[in-house]
Amino acid sequence: MTSLTHEPERSARPAMLNRLDSPLTYQILTFALFAIGWQIYGTFFGGLLVPTFTETVAALVPTLVSAEFWEAFVVSNQALVLGFAAAVAIGVPTGIVLGRFRTLERLSNVYLNILLVTPMAAIIPLLVMSVGFGLLSRVILVTLFAVVMIIVNVRAGIRQVDPSLIQMARTFGAGEAQIWREILLPGALPSIMTGIRLGLGRAVTGMVIVELLMVSLALGGLILEYRGSFNGPALYAVIVAIIAEALVLISAAQWLERRIAPWAPSAGKARS
Amino acid sequence: MIEINQLTKTFTSQDGTPVHALGGVDLTVNDNEFLTLLGPSGCGKTTMLKMIAGLQGWDGGTITIDGKAVTGPGPDRSMVFQNFALLPWATVMDNVCFGLRLRGTERRAREERAQELIEMVGLSGFESKRPGELSGGMQQRVGIARALAVDPQILLMDEPFGAVDEQTRRLLQEELLSIWERNRLTVVFVTHSMEEAVLLGDRVVLMSARPGQISEIVEVPLARPRSSDVGGLERSREYTEITAHLWDQLRSMHSEHRAVEAVR
Repeated sequence: MTSLTHEPERSARPAMLNRLDSPLTYQILTFALFAIGWQIYGTFFGGLLVPTFTETVAALVPTLVSAEFWEAFVVSNQALVLGFAAAVAIGVPTGIVLGRFRTLERLSNVYLNILLVTPMAAIIPLLVMSVGFGLLSRVILVTLFAVVMIIVNVRAGIRQVDPSLIQMARTFGAGEAQIWREILLPGALPSIMTGIRLGLGRAVTGMVIVELLMVSLALGGLILEYRGSFNGPALYAVIVAIIAEALVLISAAQWLERRIAPWAPSAGKARS
Repeated sequence: MIEINQLTKTFTSQDGTPVHALGGVDLTVNDNEFLTLLGPSGCGKTTMLKMIAGLQGWDGGTITIDGKAVTGPGPDRSMVFQNFALLPWATVMDNVCFGLRLRGTERRAREERAQELIEMVGLSGFESKRPGELSGGMQQRVGIARALAVDPQILLMDEPFGAVDEQTRRLLQEELLSIWERNRLTVVFVTHSMEEAVLLGDRVVLMSARPGQISEIVEVPLARPRSSDVGGLERSREYTEITAHLWDQLRSMHSEHRAVEAVR
C-alpha cells in the first residue's frame, strides 16, 4: 500500500527534486557524510597513523604524479593481468566441463570447496617455498584467488541452462556440437560474465595480499614502507588509489557484462 | 500416420520403486487428424508425446510414422513446448528461424519463411524484440511459428497454452484452430483441460494413470471449420455433453486415486 500513498506525492513534487532522486545523489550524499565523519575523527582522535580526509586528498595528488607510485602500480598490475588472464583461461573451460559432466563435478567438488574456504594467505609460505619470490609466485596467487569464483559461476551457468531448450534444439535435429554452440554457451554467458567480474575483484585482493605478506614490493611494498615511516596521509593515498583501480575495473566488467549479455535480467545490478 | 503398438515405459523413482509411466498403449493417429491427449497428471501423456518426438526412449513396443520406426527426432515432426522454450538471447526473428538454421537453410530463404509465419501468428512489428519483452501469449505464438517454419507433417504440442492466462488461452485456441484449418497437418496435442481437448480435437484420447493407459477414445462430432463460431460451439449440446462426460471420467479417476492413497 505504500506505493499507492506515495506515488501521487512524488509526481506532485517539482521536476528538479525528481531529477535529484537518483542513485548517484544518494552515493554522493553518503560519501559526503563519510568524508565529514572521517575528517572529525582524524582531527580529534587520529593520532599519528589516521590522517584527516583533507590530508589524504592532499597526499593523493603528489602520489598520483610520483614516478615511485606508477612504477609500483605497473609492477603490481603485471601480476594482476597475467594472473587474472590465467584464471579466466583455466576457470571458464573448467567450469563448463564441470557443469556439463556430473561425474567430474562429483570428483572435483571437494577440492573446489577447499579452494573456496581456505584463506589463501595461508598457502603463501607454501608457494614461496616451491616457486620462490618472483613474478611467477605472485601470478599463481592471483590466479588461485580468482579462479575458484570463475569456475563456480561458470559451472552454475551451464547447469542452469533450461533443459527444455536442449530438447527443443534436439527436435530440430541438433547434434552435441550444435547444442554446445547454440544453447549451452550462449545460455551460460551471463553467468560466465558474472564469474569473470567477481573473479576480477578477487584477483585485485590477491594482488595486494601477496605483496603485503609475501614479497614487500610494488603497491603492497609502498603501503608497508609508509606505515613504517608513519606517513599516514601517503599510506591512505595508496589505499585510496588501489580502491579506485578496483572500482574502475569492476565497473568496466559490469559494463561489459551488460553489453555482452543484455538479455540477462539483472546483469551487474542485483547480484553485484 | 502414427502407429503406436504396446508401448511400455517404467521409470525408477528416487526411492527406488518402479513407476509405470506407460503400460501397453496402442494408438493410431491418422494423417491430418487433430488428436488431443487428455488425462490426469502422471498418466504419461507428455511422456508419450516426447517418445513420438524422439526425445525419450521406451522399454517395449514400437512407434512408427508412415511405416518407419521412430529412433530419434526427425524433420517430419516439430514440437511446441509448455514453457515456450525460446532462446532468451535471440530476437523473435532469430527464434523463428532457429529450426531452419539448424537444418542448414540459407539466410535469405529462412528469413523469408520466418517472416510469413511471424505475420501468420500476428507478430509483425515484433521481429527484433527478445522473448523477455513479450507477454506469455506472444511468446507461445513465437513457439508455434518456429515449429511451423520447418514445414513439419506432424505438430506435437505439449500443453502449449498451459502457462498463459485464461483469456489469452482462449484467443490462442481460436487462432490455432484457424491456422490448422488453413494448413491441415497432423497434430497431437497434450492438455489437461477437457474444454480445450473437445474444442480442438477430432478425437479425444482419455488416459488414466498408474500405469498410463488409454481408458477411452471419444469422437468429437462438432463440424469444421470451428474457428468461425467458437462461442456458438461452446454452447452446443454435443460440446456440453462430451465435456461433461470427460469430466465424469476424470473425476472418478481422481477419486479412485484418492481411495488408493487412503488405503496405503
